[in-house]
Amino acid sequence: MSFEQISRIKQKKASSKKHFLSRQQNFWGWLLITPAVLGLSIWVFFPLVLSLLASFWHWDMLMPPSWNGFQNYAMMFQDQIFWQSVWVTIYFTVVGVPLQIVAGFGAALLLNTKVRAMGFFRTIYYLPSLLPIAVTSALWLWLYNKQFGLFNIILDKFGLPPGQWVFGTGSVIPSLILMSIWGIGNTIVIFLAGLQGIPQELMEAVAIDGGKAWHRFRHVVLPLTSPVIFYNIIIGIIGGLQTFTQPYLMTNGGPANASLFYVLHLYRQAFMYSNMGYACAMAWFLFIITAVIAGLVFKSSTLWVFYEGEGRK
Amino acid sequence: MKRWFMVALVVLLVVALVMPTMFAAGNVKLTFCFWGSPAEDKVVKAAFKGFEVAHPGITVEPMYIPGDISGSEYAAKLKALAQAGELPDLGYFRPEHFGAWATNDFFMDLTPLVKKDKLENTVLPQVWLKVKGKIRGSYTAAECEVLFYNKDVLQKAGVPLPPTDYRKGWSWDQFVQYCRKITIDNAGKHPGEPGFDSAKIVRYGVSYQLWSAMLLPAIWSNNGDFMSADGKQFLLDKPAAVEVFQKIGDLINKEHVFAYTNPSSTSGGGLPAPPVMLANGQLGFYVTGQWELLDLAQMKFPLGVGALPIFKKPAQLYVSGASVIFKATKHPKEAWELHKWMLTPDKTSDLYTSGLWMPTKASWYNNAADLKKWIDNPVHPAGFKEAVVDSMQVARINPETRIKNYPEIWGEAVTPEMELIWLGQKSAVEAMKAAKAKVMQLKLIQGVY
Repeated sequence: MSFEQISRIKQKKASSKKHFLSRQQNFWGWLLITPAVLGLSIWVFFPLVLSLLASFWHWDMLMPPSWNGFQNYAMMFQDQIFWQSVWVTIYFTVVGVPLQIVAGFGAALLLNTKVRAMGFFRTIYYLPSLLPIAVTSALWLWLYNKQFGLFNIILDKFGLPPGQWVFGTGSVIPSLILMSIWGIGNTIVIFLAGLQGIPQELMEAVAIDGGKAWHRFRHVVLPLTSPVIFYNIIIGIIGGLQTFTQPYLMTNGGPANASLFYVLHLYRQAFMYSNMGYACAMAWFLFIITAVIAGLVFKSSTLWVFYEGEGRK
Repeated sequence: MKRWFMVALVVLLVVALVMPTMFAAGNVKLTFCFWGSPAEDKVVKAAFKGFEVAHPGITVEPMYIPGDISGSEYAAKLKALAQAGELPDLGYFRPEHFGAWATNDFFMDLTPLVKKDKLENTVLPQVWLKVKGKIRGSYTAAECEVLFYNKDVLQKAGVPLPPTDYRKGWSWDQFVQYCRKITIDNAGKHPGEPGFDSAKIVRYGVSYQLWSAMLLPAIWSNNGDFMSADGKQFLLDKPAAVEVFQKIGDLINKEHVFAYTNPSSTSGGGLPAPPVMLANGQLGFYVTGQWELLDLAQMKFPLGVGALPIFKKPAQLYVSGASVIFKATKHPKEAWELHKWMLTPDKTSDLYTSGLWMPTKASWYNNAADLKKWIDNPVHPAGFKEAVVDSMQVARINPETRIKNYPEIWGEAVTPEMELIWLGQKSAVEAMKAAKAKVMQLKLIQGVY
């Protein structure tokens, strides 16, 4: 055996060993991610695909499903109650989200100042969002109570007539929006983090140029927190369009469907009336609406969201 | 040593796993699904224990599914179990879903068993639930609507106690007049008197449960109906039903005698729950399901029961959950034994003596000795027999088990419009016209099962 031959065999051995190692690594790699992949596939992707399929079925979950074409989607456009739920949800989101952003941003600005016992105030503002929404709902039902709720007692003290709050067709959505503003602790925290990331030297620069508080806000704070505002708007819209717990627990969609939110209507179709196919179609339609709105907000973001470092490219 | 230890451990594990099945060999296990309050849960489980003692070799596994108010979660859970092929052997079933499941052949046909055991006439005639001529289940209990009142409140207001004979109830106008007499504002004024402030009422005449079935006795009493018998015609927009809706709406908005709590809210509107108001002397009459007796009897106030007010003729509602044996059961014989056991009121007597339910067994209505077993106690007020027990003779079943799309017709079309009547934003004529339009538009009228 020549030297060359020997070295070739050695090489072959080495490479097959290397190959073997990588195969083993491969095996372990796959094995270790299997639980996550399986979990995602079984509990997320499979239901997702199934619900997309089911949106084209007539399916009462008793008999095997039958193909229904675009019937479920077509039905949505004829269903007045469906449009009522769309209207309620959009009303709540379009009015509620900007108010939540303004209130959250305002509170964050206040909580970012240097006063004594700031930790205490921050805790107070954050506390409501620690409560489960079920608890918040029960609490606000008491506040809104027509006979002895706090709000009507206050109105009565000023000689004003009692409000209907969540029990009136016209006042139920504004009341739910008011309640949603109470629970903006998470928004505040995100804003606060954004505010604290603003470099102090920029503020000083404005001051040196003779700028006042308004200028600091308009030309430094607002541009630098615009990505945070953007994030909060997106999250707020998605959350608003999916509102379920408050109407489910507080008003059950009433009075007279005035608080029949989209997802509550969907839930009833699926679990009370056994129209699973229709409910799935509604779910996908909501997904499309959400995607479109989020897309529009994203598109618009180039006009008003300022990312540091973008200008230096 | 180490190996020896491992082997021993494995053997022990295998034995531990196999043991229960070894003992269970030759033993039949039945799974029984049900909902109910924690108190009901206890009584039902006690009944299972009694069954196991009387039937050695059969064990009952309770599947308690605490329900929500609409019952939709219970139904959803059973649907999921059906899809997975893991339905229990028998148990309670949501009556509004009964027709669909029965038609799709999910329940055992009980007809031959009922015939063999000669049970047709041992229970109230409403009890066996038939679909297309076959018995597919039974009502779990008997429940109906009752006029409760607080004796002290009536006496203080100078109102006579209502008659107890269900055939001799007050006329509607009489009833309204007494409600007016009971209702006062914080200045002691009654509705209709000058200076009466309807925003400051401290004592109300009446409160009604206003969900679908609870309105049926009044509508039937006025010769109206919900749907035609074949389920092909919507009748709530006909004058007989509209009149009842308007009269109840008037109690709220015109007469100001009605403690109105938002029916769609699970926790009521501006007022405490009606049972609390009744006990506190803030309410004179309360028309609701007889099952509320369970709570009312615990509340230590002079509780009375009277005949329901009558429009044109006495009427009563038979309403209850259903009980079924699922067709997929592997032990039909044993399941039938347990089904019968649960229908026998002696085995679950706490459910009846506590005021929660009324029995399904016929002799418990007409045999004095049997009747004594369940109503001769401090829970059931005097007059309960004449006002409630006897009224079951005219009780019609809640059409929810028969009429297709029943929950949807109410939930999607009727209830939202009805709420506008209660809020005083629509007249009953307009509201029911709109309700009918919605029913037609959504194509909800599909006949009966």
